[in-house]
Amino acid sequence: MKKTLYITRSGVLKRKENTLFFVDEDGKRKFIPVEDTNDIFIFSEIDLNTKLLDFLSQKSICVHFFNYYGYYTGTYYPREHLNAGHVILKQSEAYLDKKLRLDLARRFISGSINQMKQVLRYYANRRKENNELLLGIIEELNSSLLKLNNAETVEELMAFEGHARENYYRGFDEIIRNDDFQFGKRSKRPPLNRLNALISFGNSLCYTMILSEIYKTYLDPRIGFLHSTNFRRFSLNLDVAEIFKPIMVDRLIFQLINKRMITQKDFEKEHGGGILLNDKGRRTFLEQMESRMRTTVNHRHLGKNVSYRRLIRLELYKIQKHLLGEKPYEPYASLW
Amino acid sequence: MRDDVYPVTGTHIWYYFICKRELWLMMHSIAPDQEDENIDIGRFLHDYYSKRGKEEVDIGSGKIDRIKKVGNELVVQEIKKTSRFKESSYFQLLFYLEQLKQMGIKAKGELLFTEEKTKEQVELTDENREKLLEAVKDIQTYAKLPVPPSPKKIKFCNRCAYRDYCWAGED
Repeated sequence: MKKTLYITRSGVLKRKENTLFFVDEDGKRKFIPVEDTNDIFIFSEIDLNTKLLDFLSQKSICVHFFNYYGYYTGTYYPREHLNAGHVILKQSEAYLDKKLRLDLARRFISGSINQMKQVLRYYANRRKENNELLLGIIEELNSSLLKLNNAETVEELMAFEGHARENYYRGFDEIIRNDDFQFGKRSKRPPLNRLNALISFGNSLCYTMILSEIYKTYLDPRIGFLHSTNFRRFSLNLDVAEIFKPIMVDRLIFQLINKRMITQKDFEKEHGGGILLNDKGRRTFLEQMESRMRTTVNHRHLGKNVSYRRLIRLELYKIQKHLLGEKPYEPYASLW
Repeated sequence: MRDDVYPVTGTHIWYYFICKRELWLMMHSIAPDQEDENIDIGRFLHDYYSKRGKEEVDIGSGKIDRIKKVGNELVVQEIKKTSRFKESSYFQLLFYLEQLKQMGIKAKGELLFTEEKTKEQVELTDENREKLLEAVKDIQTYAKLPVPPSPKKIKFCNRCAYRDYCWAGED
């Protein structure tokens, strides 16, 4: 499996001797094998030139930029290297046809709610006692799932999803039980407390990681079905993230907090009143996220072990099969 | 893609005798996973051989690996790594012979399996020609299918770069 390169130190990234070369601000030099690089995440101030961008395009490598605060800035998405008119037509058709779009959007939402349920169930089972709150939320999520069939527009579906997610977040304090990380309510741009900071950072990583995978398929990231941000920026990755956020991000956050790998020392307050991860916190988060993405799970259908990262690709393949009319999309359902 | 008659090439013949689904995907320019290591190896081998001066001969709708003259006879060679896909290789070569024949060129065929260091003579006969033309017609039918043929587990699946795509989400 090719590697993701995370750059958290400032410096210069360039093409040298037909591979990648990084010099950090202290003058430390490092060659990075380009053939083994999947994508690049940059969290620091990096100097780069068009020669590098040209090289990255040649090697089909996406670069995701995050600013000083860890907010997603944008992606250098090289020219498409995989093109199939047939797939684009089918993807557009599924967007333009109201019934097809609603059907696909509903599949994303139900997959998402099922994943939330799975996360809650995991912690409810571990507790054995005092788990009424979590069990209660699971019940409510079940009734949300039933309601999805009544939705007649994508907007309605989004509202159901929002409601379900609020319910789901009610379980967070119960799972974490740590006064340093109280949920309060969801706040973004800026996140107003530590837990929200972790969720925001994790989610943006999730979105970009999925974008990197979409680049390696025939799907067009600009055509989403659930998120109506079409034509302005990437949106298919946001749809697919609904399936992966609970296991990729939320479970990771619980692990980081409960094992005290991240504590209140890993945060800082910015001028606007927002709370954000500091350098060290961000690094810990990235390391743990990466090791989580490399973890393999047994895949029932393929009969082999696949990494979480690969699961994303398989999910995209399933969506493409749905669009081509091969097989209706059944979202990934984690069993643990 | 034209709606009437799909221009069939030697490569299509090759896929046709291996996997109809692969054929459909290829015809719709849906290439397999580019990160598959077999694809990398294949690409490397191709570059390596073309650098060594092995020149392909363009005959319009396909490329013949090598043509040589033995006495008064033209011999067309198709070079393959192994005989794992023998049937495919055989018909692909027949297809080239048929095309040359239509241009008024009479030629014989030779299949070379480099890893096994073996050679096999191939000649166009009425019998195998009929089978070939049937395949060409069949390929044109496949080209028009709106949906790819469903995946079937065959012995070639395990090393195929489409395997994750084919089997993602299949029971």
